[in-house]
Amino acid sequence: MTVDQLPSRTDRFAAGRARATGARRSRASMTARRHRAFYLFTSPWIIGFLLLTVTPMAYALWLSFTTFDGISPNWKYVGLGNYRELLNDPVTWDSLGRAGLFAVTSVPLSILAGLGLAVLVNRPLKARGLFRTLLYLPAVVPPVGAGLAFKLLFDQNSGASNGVLTFFGIDAVPWLADPYARYVLLMTVLWAAGNVMIISLAGLQDVPKELHEAARIDGASSWRTFRSITVPLLSPVLLFQTVTGMIASVQTIMPLLLAPLGDTSGITTVPQSNYLYMMHVFAQYFALGRYGYASALLWVLFVLILVVTGLIFKFTSGAVFYNVDPEAKKK
Amino acid sequence: MTATILPPKPSQAATSTPSGVRVRIRARRLALYTVLVSVTGLFLGPFGWLVLSGLKTQGELAASPVHWLPDAFQWHNFADAFDQIDFLGYARNSLVIALIYATLVTLSSAWVGFGFARLDAPGKKVLFGVLLGSMMLPQMVTLLPTYLIFAKLGMVNTYWPWVLWGLSAAPYLVFLFRQFFAGMPRELEEAAIVDGCGYTSIFWRIFLPQSWPVLSASFIIAFTWTWGDYIAPQLLLSTDRTTLAVAVMTAYVNEGGTPVPELQAAASVMYVVPILLIFLVAQRGFVAGMSTSGLK
Repeated sequence: MTVDQLPSRTDRFAAGRARATGARRSRASMTARRHRAFYLFTSPWIIGFLLLTVTPMAYALWLSFTTFDGISPNWKYVGLGNYRELLNDPVTWDSLGRAGLFAVTSVPLSILAGLGLAVLVNRPLKARGLFRTLLYLPAVVPPVGAGLAFKLLFDQNSGASNGVLTFFGIDAVPWLADPYARYVLLMTVLWAAGNVMIISLAGLQDVPKELHEAARIDGASSWRTFRSITVPLLSPVLLFQTVTGMIASVQTIMPLLLAPLGDTSGITTVPQSNYLYMMHVFAQYFALGRYGYASALLWVLFVLILVVTGLIFKFTSGAVFYNVDPEAKKK
Repeated sequence: MTATILPPKPSQAATSTPSGVRVRIRARRLALYTVLVSVTGLFLGPFGWLVLSGLKTQGELAASPVHWLPDAFQWHNFADAFDQIDFLGYARNSLVIALIYATLVTLSSAWVGFGFARLDAPGKKVLFGVLLGSMMLPQMVTLLPTYLIFAKLGMVNTYWPWVLWGLSAAPYLVFLFRQFFAGMPRELEEAAIVDGCGYTSIFWRIFLPQSWPVLSASFIIAFTWTWGDYIAPQLLLSTDRTTLAVAVMTAYVNEGGTPVPELQAAASVMYVVPILLIFLVAQRGFVAGMSTSGLK
């Protein structure tokens, strides 16, 4: 491009110099072009992020300092009033505690289950492709379908689970009510462990075979091999699963879908033991229309997630192996 | 469960006779298959129960103790589920929204992913960090205030939110495309640049036509997200314009407001099956997409 504009000189030296500056100039303009192109290409996301993520978050932050409810024109600025109120609200603490308990049980359990399934279907088996597909299938079922299936399965009268219990002479259990509803919620998460399985499986297949052979020759037991080779090599995957699993568990709407009438206004029918933090937010938002207070709740959750994610990364930084063989990084 | 995690011990051939080893291997194999088959059965159980519930009468579904199998398969439940609500109308709404979103978000994410994979500029590292960080952002935290803003802009009960979400790319899919594009050979675009091609045409003419596996994976992932999404349509759309997810969950009630479980079960089977079929057909790409974005 710029080469065309070069003055034609007969002097070889001058021509050479001109070519050099021309090349430099063209390289500079190419770089500028790449820079411009980079922003042209990334702009949809940048603009979208600013408008659809940053703006709502900022709006929620502003709302959290007000008594805005969407209807009353007399809303006012209350400073940290909402935050003070939520700190003094026992429901906030109880629901936060339940959400935390749900996260620290459901996340490790589903990772363990998923990892177990991955190891199981990573063996040379007949029809293992079929097993993988079938085990993964529940993870594709949309939440509404999953919620309904579990509601029917754990129905106190006509559910299969109580059918099995009564067959063994055990009294029927009101699974969808307190205090059992939490176990049903947990099972819906475990049902989708195929997600972890698929991702761990991809990780397992990346583990070099030589490592396992070397360990076997050295006389390591299979448990030892699993603990000292497989798990460390999978640790980035497991870390990723922990973080995304935790975030997913915090925002799950499954309690709504398991409640007698799945509807945002049916928030009142969610049993106590499934009344997680997000349900508290929903109730404030939709049942009560307290946008200001609910926004404060959301911001507290957001900051908590940032802190917890940060802590997870900090405390695992020594335990996670990002890659054994830098050469092998690019496959 | 722990037993299943353990790989088998290497056979201690030195101390056993060859036939003993064979017997032990066979026994272990049998145990493995037994575990696998029962676990798989357990995983398919809830969905099987849903199908079975859709084939029962209301009386059988309310019976206590449980009525395991319907006396006669009530196939008409599936037809009734169509008539009780405007099933096809809601399915069409779901389809339209999912197609709009999946098409737009796939193109925009590919576009943005190309930028992150093949171009650079000051600030790229920071932006990429923000992109990865935003994957960790709980969507529910932004959705609720977004709903208030959309309401203010008069976009509630329209499909505009999905258009806007689609146009602004999804971090997860951007990452998927970035990984794919970053692995393509440099010579591709160098030759095109020498020929005077701009980056836009490099993207459209060279990169995009070679990305069918990722494009389809991204489209399917985005489609299933939208089809499965309950909360956004529940918040943003009124009862007649809403999606099948919301209708299946809330619309199967009789005049008195009590739910009609057998129709709801039948309807939710019909709601879930298309997604299962899409997954089964496109499994390879879908799984590859899920695991790439979960890894590096």
